[in-house]
Amino acid sequence: MSRMKFQISNLNLYYGPNQALKDVSIDLPESSVTAFIGPSGCGKSTFLRCLNRMNDFIPRCRVEGQVLLDGTDIYAPGTDVISLRRRVGMVFQKPNPFPTSIFDNVAYGPRLHGVTDRGTLEGIVRQSLEGAALWDEVRDKLNTPALSLSGGQQQRLCIARAIAVQPEVLLMDEPTSALDPMSTARIEELVRELKTKYTVIIVTHNMQQAARISDLTAFFLLGEMVEVGPTQEIFTSPSDRRTEDYITGRFG
Amino acid sequence: MKSRFLKDRLATAVLWSCMGAVLVILGGILVFLVVQGAGALSWEFITQPPRDSMTKGGILTPLIGTIQLVLVAMAFAFPVGVLTAVYLNEYASTDRFTGLLRLAVRSLAGVPSVVFGLFGLSLFVIFLKFGSSLLSAGLTLGCLALPVIVGASEAALKAVPQDYRDASYAMGATRWQTIRKVVLPAAFPAILTGGILSIGRVAGETAPIIFTGAAFFTPDIARSLFSQVMALPYHVLILATAGTNIEETRGIQYGTILVLLLVVLGITLTGVIWRARLRMRSSR
Repeated sequence: MSRMKFQISNLNLYYGPNQALKDVSIDLPESSVTAFIGPSGCGKSTFLRCLNRMNDFIPRCRVEGQVLLDGTDIYAPGTDVISLRRRVGMVFQKPNPFPTSIFDNVAYGPRLHGVTDRGTLEGIVRQSLEGAALWDEVRDKLNTPALSLSGGQQQRLCIARAIAVQPEVLLMDEPTSALDPMSTARIEELVRELKTKYTVIIVTHNMQQAARISDLTAFFLLGEMVEVGPTQEIFTSPSDRRTEDYITGRFG
Repeated sequence: MKSRFLKDRLATAVLWSCMGAVLVILGGILVFLVVQGAGALSWEFITQPPRDSMTKGGILTPLIGTIQLVLVAMAFAFPVGVLTAVYLNEYASTDRFTGLLRLAVRSLAGVPSVVFGLFGLSLFVIFLKFGSSLLSAGLTLGCLALPVIVGASEAALKAVPQDYRDASYAMGATRWQTIRKVVLPAAFPAILTGGILSIGRVAGETAPIIFTGAAFFTPDIARSLFSQVMALPYHVLILATAGTNIEETRGIQYGTILVLLLVVLGITLTGVIWRARLRMRSSR
């Protein structure tokens, strides 16, 4: 397997007195899709949000342990969280385009980071929309409100928006849970393409989805990372009893 | 079993009659004003200053004065109020100090307007030496509008989905970038509503401006921030209580009230249309 993008060791996370993640250690390889599966409340989304420090906004949330991105600890004091988030983009559970035009949504990130030239912006917007497999559907209506798009299109727009700042990693938090099957299929296809350029880490409720699109699967339960391995192995011959119980549908 | 339906009918009847009472009161005032004041309205009424000890002529000076007062009040209160709300909702941590701050702002909304007048008198007129002027009176009205604007803006900011903020931060935006480019634009239509409502409150106030800048009579409209101004509500008060010939000026008095109402209605309508256009641009 290729180089490791993230190396996480002994990560503990507390919400006040409650421990939400227990001693999680896992390495995530570059240019591949890693899926986090597990029942609701198992900590998989919380863990995902540790990777771009989105948990920083939650009051009384405390993180211990080491998260290395390309060998540098992103929780070290003095870390530039702004540039970290630029390198580690995120797509959320519910499509959340801004209430502005399609163009302005995609141009938002580049503008934040100082791109003002109209021609350059147009180029970035087009590339990003192509990268998110949305260009052909919206090329003639870039100035219409983003909220007029369908749910599936909105989610692809959010993906375009996220890749417009050229991140190295794309975190996806159940990106298809609010979408219909057709839109879901398109996003899954897109994820398979995205991994050639980005390291994709996806949280999903849907085990079939993890099996279809990921190279590596990690199973979370009650704040622990129970098992991680090549997706095929996890789904055919898991080594832990709890993983087997979950994927065979005995609980969850 | 039966009493359930009886209670339902009773509730319906009570709710209907309460709403009816509100409508009757509102309609009554309007009809009364139109009947009494419509006769005074004419083009000359709004384009001529008062003449002959205010028993004849129009109301140009108080009309312009009220508009000037509202502009000064908003120029001060709108930015300060909105930014205060941004601080309270986006920056302040949820500790006891912030809670106290919020309580203070809310209590400010309940303070009688005459108290604001006395406050304006001591702060703007005397301490800051602005004198009895358009500036002092406008700022005093601004203070009156502040809690309304802060309250409405805070509610508007609260209604902006956390999703928008998350999306912005996840792309490497700073807090201020997120507020300026995402949160404020999304909240703006509702913030505007708060601003408009506060104009309605401010334009009709008399007590705060009597001590701070309203004039019994000025021959001309105010050309400087430090001139005194006439204002529609104060003009009405004078015509009704201290005019030289109260009976004779009754028409002017009701005409003035009607114009004041129309001004406030006009501002409100403009705001509503502006807001609707903003909303249309952002969705569907």
